[in-house]
Amino acid sequence: MTILLPAVHVREIGLHGESAYPEEGAGVLLGLIEDGDLRRVRRTLPLPNRWEDETRTRRYRIDPLDLLDAEEKAEQDGLTILGIYHSHPDHPPRPSDFDLERALPFYTYIITEVRSGGAVESRAWRLAEDRGRFEEEGLTVVPDPMEDR
Amino acid sequence: MSLVRIPTPLRPYTEGKKEVEASGATVMAVLEDLGLRYPSLRSHLFSGNGGLRPYVNIFVNEADIRGLAGEATVMTDGDRLMIVPSIAGGRGAEALRPVDHAALRTNQAVIIGFLLGAYVADAPSLVAVVGALMLLGSVRGRPAFAAIYRLLRAMGRLRPDVLQDNPEPHRFAQLLGGVVLSLGALAFVLGAASLGWGLTAVVAALAGINLFAGVCVGCALYYWLARVHVPGFSKSPPPGTLPGRRPTI
Repeated sequence: MTILLPAVHVREIGLHGESAYPEEGAGVLLGLIEDGDLRRVRRTLPLPNRWEDETRTRRYRIDPLDLLDAEEKAEQDGLTILGIYHSHPDHPPRPSDFDLERALPFYTYIITEVRSGGAVESRAWRLAEDRGRFEEEGLTVVPDPMEDR
Repeated sequence: MSLVRIPTPLRPYTEGKKEVEASGATVMAVLEDLGLRYPSLRSHLFSGNGGLRPYVNIFVNEADIRGLAGEATVMTDGDRLMIVPSIAGGRGAEALRPVDHAALRTNQAVIIGFLLGAYVADAPSLVAVVGALMLLGSVRGRPAFAAIYRLLRAMGRLRPDVLQDNPEPHRFAQLLGGVVLSLGALAFVLGAASLGWGLTAVVAALAGINLFAGVCVGCALYYWLARVHVPGFSKSPPPGTLPGRRPTI
């Protein structure tokens, strides 16, 4: 259970979290599943945080229509939505009980801690099959693919 | 028969299919039929009480059912139903605060000591005093015997053990202990000495479990009450920590 994240996308996710600070920022991870359960991110797509009130500093919501749109974009490029990324402003990059209650199976959830406006650490998590907890997924930063250079 | 569009994360439960068929006269009936056809999908669509999970959004022929008749929206043959998740999450609980666990442990040790002393000396009034101090401490938001801890610290006998934690559950646990001891004191006044000592023993035992096993039963109770949304109980355990256990980070 490992997700490969090219360095360029690590920076994109960090920048999105920083620009959303002190609110939470979120988006989707598009890519491919390679042999077995190896996931390779090819694109990130930032999406608006549609959480309704001022608690966007500790909540995020991606609208179903935004997600549907992202799913269609992914399919056009022959990619699939591998998961979701979001930031935890001034909070460790671990899923909260709130994350757990609302988590979907299959998706890789990358959480980035943004401390005092600067992205610090990202970790990847996946919902366990019994829905009772998150399991940490390996997050490997890989060199950028040639076409992105 | 309706055509149901399955979102990517749920396709592993529909044999990888993007669209499947299900039948039913309403949206709910179609979803229930879907759950029968693909049993492993059920727990991801429905929560324990049988309602749809908060992230499940349903569109019928591109229209959100919330603008139609909700789950009772009538389905006719050939209607297309889309399951589209709304993704939500976030760090949730308010930020943790520093809590000195050395002060809490000292408090527990002193409470156990006084209660044992009260029993040995057959001094029910001491039980009442400890109970009153615990209630007072809870109201002031500090351990009942914080002064003794400060003294031991000043003497260099104890060092702070500050962890990122929620102070409220500890406050609640002390309040609970104070209430039980007050009931014990009331029992003594009413002449039910064995009940009084029984309640005293409960508080001493729970303080002991906290002191020696690191399990705060009152805190666990607080978190369970928060979990079932009892007003006034809002905090979740620190990340990666079982309710009532010491925070691990």
